[in-house]
Amino acid sequence: MNPFFGKIGAWLRRRAENVAAGLLAVIFVAFIVQIVFRYLLNFPIGWTSELSVITWLWLVLWGAAFVVKESEEIRFDLISGAADPSMRRVMGIITGAAIMALYATSLPATVDYVGFMKVEKTSYLKIRFDWLYSIYVIFAVAVIVRYLWILSHLLRGKEPEALDSTTVSSGL
Amino acid sequence: MNPTSPFSFAVLAIVALSLLGLPIGHAMIGGSVLYLFLAGLDMGTAAEQLLNGMYSSFVLLAIPLFILAAEFMTIGSITERLLNFCNAFVGRYRGGLAQVNVVQSIIFSSMSGSALADAASSGKLMQKMMTQDGKYTASFAAALTAVSSVIAPIIPPSIPLVIYALVSDTSIGYLFLAGVVPGLLIGIVQMLLIAFTARRRNFPVEKPVPLRDIPRITWEAFPALMMPVILLGCLYSGITTPTEAAALAALYALLVSAFLYRAVTWRGVYNSLLTAARVTISIGMLIAGAMVFNYVITAENIPKTLAIMLKGYALTPFTFLLLANLILLVLGCFLEGTTILLIIVPVLLPTAQALGVDPVHFGVVAVVNIMIGLVTPPYGLLLFMMVKIAEVPLRDIVREVMPFLAVMIAALALITFVPSLTLFLPRLMGYQG
Repeated sequence: MNPFFGKIGAWLRRRAENVAAGLLAVIFVAFIVQIVFRYLLNFPIGWTSELSVITWLWLVLWGAAFVVKESEEIRFDLISGAADPSMRRVMGIITGAAIMALYATSLPATVDYVGFMKVEKTSYLKIRFDWLYSIYVIFAVAVIVRYLWILSHLLRGKEPEALDSTTVSSGL
Repeated sequence: MNPTSPFSFAVLAIVALSLLGLPIGHAMIGGSVLYLFLAGLDMGTAAEQLLNGMYSSFVLLAIPLFILAAEFMTIGSITERLLNFCNAFVGRYRGGLAQVNVVQSIIFSSMSGSALADAASSGKLMQKMMTQDGKYTASFAAALTAVSSVIAPIIPPSIPLVIYALVSDTSIGYLFLAGVVPGLLIGIVQMLLIAFTARRRNFPVEKPVPLRDIPRITWEAFPALMMPVILLGCLYSGITTPTEAAALAALYALLVSAFLYRAVTWRGVYNSLLTAARVTISIGMLIAGAMVFNYVITAENIPKTLAIMLKGYALTPFTFLLLANLILLVLGCFLEGTTILLIIVPVLLPTAQALGVDPVHFGVVAVVNIMIGLVTPPYGLLLFMMVKIAEVPLRDIVREVMPFLAVMIAALALITFVPSLTLFLPRLMGYQG
């Protein structure tokens, strides 16, 4: 890869990580605020739980789009892990093309759905749902672009990234 | 089931894409989109299910918060303090360090809900301590760390139990209480096996820690030992919701690491947040994929169909639980645990309910099965992690895991067929089941 673009890519990824860590911090702080208000000040507030659940949705989709690498996601690698690199390349091309096609075909209907949600607002913070749910469109586009990129690499004959099941963070 | 129906194609696509190595979350979303397309339904439904599902799953917020709590706790080098503490009490017996490994896991499991986090945090240190001067073989030490880590998600807090609470609509509080006795039971059978093996294999004894050092060692570990007290206290008394208890646990861990252990830097906090965020994202994507696919499963009425089909076999709760254990154990050898919990368990649930199996009991049984799946070859994430940490061939670890597997399955049988072991604590706290 062009070293200039490599640097920009790494810089962008770190910024995406900053956002993800920040979103988790928001969830944590929102909960603490909620606890303080409910139990110490005896004044229950509703917007904190709404904020944290919104942030959770954004954290997962933002992170899946920009933070977690393809090789870090939870997968079944008993077969793909044992295959030799050229075989894995073929497997990567098949799965990459399939998933790209499926996300791309459903994209128009997805955009329609998210746009349609402009009629509703959240109960406390009054955020329009089309704004709130727009993260899914960002996510879907990012997935399409990512697999396009992986696919172009594989088609030019590059080997797929090696898998390491111990870096997979399944949380179990 | 019609082999050319949209549902069959969707399942085929998910299985094929997963086998070929696509991340399972994407495979489930992709397969469900294919179903919608073939069935002539609105393809925006995939996004709708995912977004509404994630937006309404408030209980899942406990997951990032519990992961964060464990991360904050490990900043303060808690593992080392806990190991010293355990060593002061059980090190003096034959096979002492091996017992320390298990006791440390039991204590750590009341702060962490993740088996892999347990192995990752104590694995390296434990491996070094146990293999020093050739006390234990590297493969035994690695196998022991793997099996003792299984306890972490059974004793509360527990990430898989939070996921089960979501798929089964059961109270997290009761599920957590239900996990206490089964988790301890698994720890006890492991310790008994070590005590038995220790004499046969002549395991070493640790130098007894002088009595006068014990107060200091206890004091150093004390703040960490208080964590389960706080957590269980919140749950027992019902003062806070379990999700709020998770946030409190994280706050407590941060304060302890910052003020008592003085180990916190801004960089440390940032790294903890990022690590916890990464785990949250991976597991969240899997849950998101399962939410979309579960829509397809429900639209096709699969769980009900299965329940009716199984009715024909005149299942009793006993035979059902036996069958469920077998299915989950076999799947655990090949599949990733969260996937089993998100896809297979919900399919079994209606049958369990129809037969009068208690959902809290069933949840604990399912989670114990799935945790055992983390140490069963060929696919066991804990085994893989220990291969990497200990640099021992998988085959050698598996050989040492086998006796532990046998006693854990015996414990599983006890947990499965004596429901009161699991339900005793929740009932004490008012669970009507």
